[in-house]
Amino acid sequence: MTFVRVCSENEVPPGEALRTESAAGPVALFNVDGEFFAIEDTCSHGQWSLADGYLTGDKIECTLHMAKFCVRTGKACTLPATKPVKIFPVERRGEDVLVDFDGGRYAA
Amino acid sequence: MMTVIIRRNEKRSPNVDLSDVFDEQAGTISPVIYSDPDIYQMELERIFSRSWLFIAHETHIPKAGDYFSTYMAEDPVIAVRQKDGGVRVFLNQCRHRGMKICRTDSGNAKAFTCTYHGWAYDIGGNLVQVPLEEQSFPGLDKSKWGARQARVESYKGLIFATWNEEAPALAEYLGDFRYYLDTVLDASEGGTEAIGGIVKWIIPCNWKFAAEQFCSDMYHGTMSHTSPITAAITEEFPALDPTALSGFQFRASNGGHGTGFFEAPAGTSWGFRIVQAAGLVEGFDPEAAHSRQAAHLGDKRGTIFSQHLSIFPNFSVFNGASTARVWHPRGPNEIEVWAFGLVDKAASDAEKEQVRLMTLRTFSAAGTWEQDDGENWVEVQRVLRGHEARQTKFNIQMGAGATRNEGADFPGTISNAYAEEAARGLYAQWFKLMSDEEGTSSKRGAYVHAAE
Ligand code: FES
Ligand SMILES: [Fe+2]
Repeated sequence: MTFVRVCSENEVPPGEALRTESAAGPVALFNVDGEFFAIEDTCSHGQWSLADGYLTGDKIECTLHMAKFCVRTGKACTLPATKPVKIFPVERRGEDVLVDFDGGRYAA
Repeated sequence: MMTVIIRRNEKRSPNVDLSDVFDEQAGTISPVIYSDPDIYQMELERIFSRSWLFIAHETHIPKAGDYFSTYMAEDPVIAVRQKDGGVRVFLNQCRHRGMKICRTDSGNAKAFTCTYHGWAYDIGGNLVQVPLEEQSFPGLDKSKWGARQARVESYKGLIFATWNEEAPALAEYLGDFRYYLDTVLDASEGGTEAIGGIVKWIIPCNWKFAAEQFCSDMYHGTMSHTSPITAAITEEFPALDPTALSGFQFRASNGGHGTGFFEAPAGTSWGFRIVQAAGLVEGFDPEAAHSRQAAHLGDKRGTIFSQHLSIFPNFSVFNGASTARVWHPRGPNEIEVWAFGLVDKAASDAEKEQVRLMTLRTFSAAGTWEQDDGENWVEVQRVLRGHEARQTKFNIQMGAGATRNEGADFPGTISNAYAEEAARGLYAQWFKLMSDEEGTSSKRGAYVHAAE
């Protein structure tokens, strides 16, 4: 379990997202009203960046075919997506936001 | 019993005899050019697919991903600001089965996804994702199926596009007209910005009535617009005697563009804008506005008042009221007007508000002056439902022979304000393009398989 610093919290204001590359592939980090979540960035349906999508509450809507995912669980909430994306553990150290890129998994 | 067989011409357009429709020497024009459906179809190909067409103002789409849905004649297109700051304009038509790729007026997009089967295009119009691609389109080369791209160029804040790969560069296309266009686009440091939204309405008339009037027709003003002029007269701003005003008209040496204006004492322009807005907006200083523009223009253009202009074929400005508009053609008998306000970036908020009020009250869907113009065009168009009316030639001789070069400190082909020299220039360009089949898309091969 290795947590890697991704950004400082004020770089990603509430409602915003950040896309970052990792050994596990691109990962999207979201700020939901001050709480941070990390999921696989590539939509499980159409190969598109979820960080580019529209975040409403804890749901991210892909801009390509409007599939929605929960950023807490990685689960697909709407068609056309049916498969989930992985979630990654997030940790806060002071101002810094860290992600464990080795810890990617599908939520139960 | 007798049988009458009516044979329709098998070959549709182009099968129209144009030899007699415009005679510049004689100063005549045949009204079939405003009503004939075959001529209209020819115009779409020979005029609109070969000319530079106005798309949007730069300030309509400032940020990457900002888009504006509009038309190039009848073809729907999307103009999108790219990440590198450039603008792309592409056909709003999915390459799968032709659905619109974008169905909203404007906004900011990360991608454009067709709502029919879901083909998705990036903001540059490149096809990036096809649903079920592996199963259903194995081996599809997506790079060959992007949206059709138009050529795009800008001139001082105005974005234009054309389908014509052989068209000259935009600056060259505008040519010597630029000097008079700059009175509007470059009258202050920083140029112009668009204000308000796009006001859209439909007028049942041919697009050339509108384009020609803004190009050339100062003449109708004192007759057609008597009522909004009279209604706005005050002691402070009495009526101007139009016969006493000196004014000029300019016919571009190439391309069919034209403009006309009065030369007026300092401040007349702003007096007009104030009175037509029914009052001075608090905090607006007309003196300062006038000196700013006069200093920046630096020559006789500082005295220009009430300037009308058209860029061939269908973009016009009336700078007396700071209104810019496109006349989108919709068949021979209808146009969609898309209008917006144009102000100097350097103007104060109060000045921008002064202009906005004035433009709304005079030249917009419900504007007083706008009603006068539309009423004429609609009525002329209705008359042309008559067979005999369509065979009856019009007089377009005003000011013929009175044209001079480099007159009165204003460069180029100059006439008096009340002339039809610029209109003859517009129809000469129209006639030239309509009579020339070279370089039309049917000559080039009508079917485009892939975006380059
Ligand atoms: S028409 Fe656009 S995806 Fe089929
Ligand atoms: Fe008018």
